[in-house]
Amino acid sequence: MAEEAVKEIKVDRKHRKIGNIAPELADRCYTCGTCAGGCPATGLVPGWDPRKAIRAIVFGMEQEVIDSKWPWVCTLCGRCQYQCPMGITLMRTFRACRSARERDKVPGPIHKGTMMNLERGNNLGIPKDDFLFLLAELGVEMENDEEQPCPGFYVPVDKEGANVIVTINSKEPFGEPDDMKFWWKIFYAAKENWTVSSENWEGVNWGLFSGDDASMKVQVARVIENARKVKAKTILYPE
Amino acid sequence: MVSIFDLLKEYIDSGRIKLDKSKVQHTYTVHDPCNYVRKSQISFGDNYGELSRWVAKQCIDESLYREMCEDYMNNLCCGAGGGAWAMPYDEERLTYGKMKVDQIRDTGAEIVIAPCHNCRDQVMKGLGDEFKKGREGFDMGNYKETLYTWELVSMALDFEPWSEAEIEAAHAERDAQFERDGVELEEEE
Ligand code: SF4
Ligand code: SF4
Repeated sequence: MAEEAVKEIKVDRKHRKIGNIAPELADRCYTCGTCAGGCPATGLVPGWDPRKAIRAIVFGMEQEVIDSKWPWVCTLCGRCQYQCPMGITLMRTFRACRSARERDKVPGPIHKGTMMNLERGNNLGIPKDDFLFLLAELGVEMENDEEQPCPGFYVPVDKEGANVIVTINSKEPFGEPDDMKFWWKIFYAAKENWTVSSENWEGVNWGLFSGDDASMKVQVARVIENARKVKAKTILYPE
Repeated sequence: MVSIFDLLKEYIDSGRIKLDKSKVQHTYTVHDPCNYVRKSQISFGDNYGELSRWVAKQCIDESLYREMCEDYMNNLCCGAGGGAWAMPYDEERLTYGKMKVDQIRDTGAEIVIAPCHNCRDQVMKGLGDEFKKGREGFDMGNYKETLYTWELVSMALDFEPWSEAEIEAAHAERDAQFERDGVELEEEE
């Protein structure tokens, strides 16, 4: 029987991109499989599960993980990381894989939405005038609601000195406007002094999911700036 | 920065809002969004598992509550986290959610409370629609609907319309705002 030559795997720790966020942690993995066993995404992408992805990174095959669907089908739910006996930051690692994807290869609308947000202040590009008009109209609807009228209700915009400033999920003004009334009714009942920004009001931070840290920070800074402008004490992100 | 749960708790504890538990009378369960529970614990050392259940129990009688997962730090993701709701991998997202489907069925609850936009969309429009279509592997048992936590609160609200003086003051503020922003609504006839 011919002897199979065992190939030595050369691991180049220095030049790992992903591993660099915590190479010592990834190397500590002892392949117990706790992560893969408890991961609901195991089996969804043939060839991958969290344990294998960590192993691939340890062995310097990080580009294969980055190019695969794995980091995107993983929902970054954090179960693996929470249970890993070796303290390996799997969730953080898989998000770093997303960051390492070329931006034009980010699946779905989350990168485009992030760019749209930077340009126009919300992920779906809803123009300011349309937004303000919609809020005004919905306010009138709530005042005159047949079942539960809220006389005196309107949506305060850019209101100086408001106590609470609220972000909005752009899917609501875009497609489910009535769902904004749930919070509004609560504010009406509580007689809260609240407000919404006329610009940069988006509450969904897709940079978080696309792995785009720079854009993510811009969005957070904008929300904080909006609160500063009206001197609001409290920011509510109803996500 | 305040979480929705902290704010709702403050309103309830201080009596700023009053909730009437007789308005909704269905069995219910509470889903744990990864971001508010496990990931909050990982990042900030605290989580909203308890508080999220507490708020729901202020809205519907506790006898109708059905636990989904005692060990909420290890509860399962809805399947649409990490932006997956928007991602083009629908079948993977639905298959992932089958574990959530089983959990929901096993609670026997009619209403699922989801304190997160993503989770609500996945449970209601993702998993719930497959169940209503009768798709195999998506049996959600007694399931009827999904509500946001704040949607449930708004349904249970017991409130009085404002006083004449409050209404007048609000109208004046509103008119000034519309004037400033150039918002013109058509007059009701
Ligand atoms: S749980 Fe941790 S130690 Fe175990 S295989 Fe996964 S990453 Fe490695
Ligand atoms: S974070 Fe990703 S890999 Fe880890 S358990 Fe959740 S879905 Fe699986």
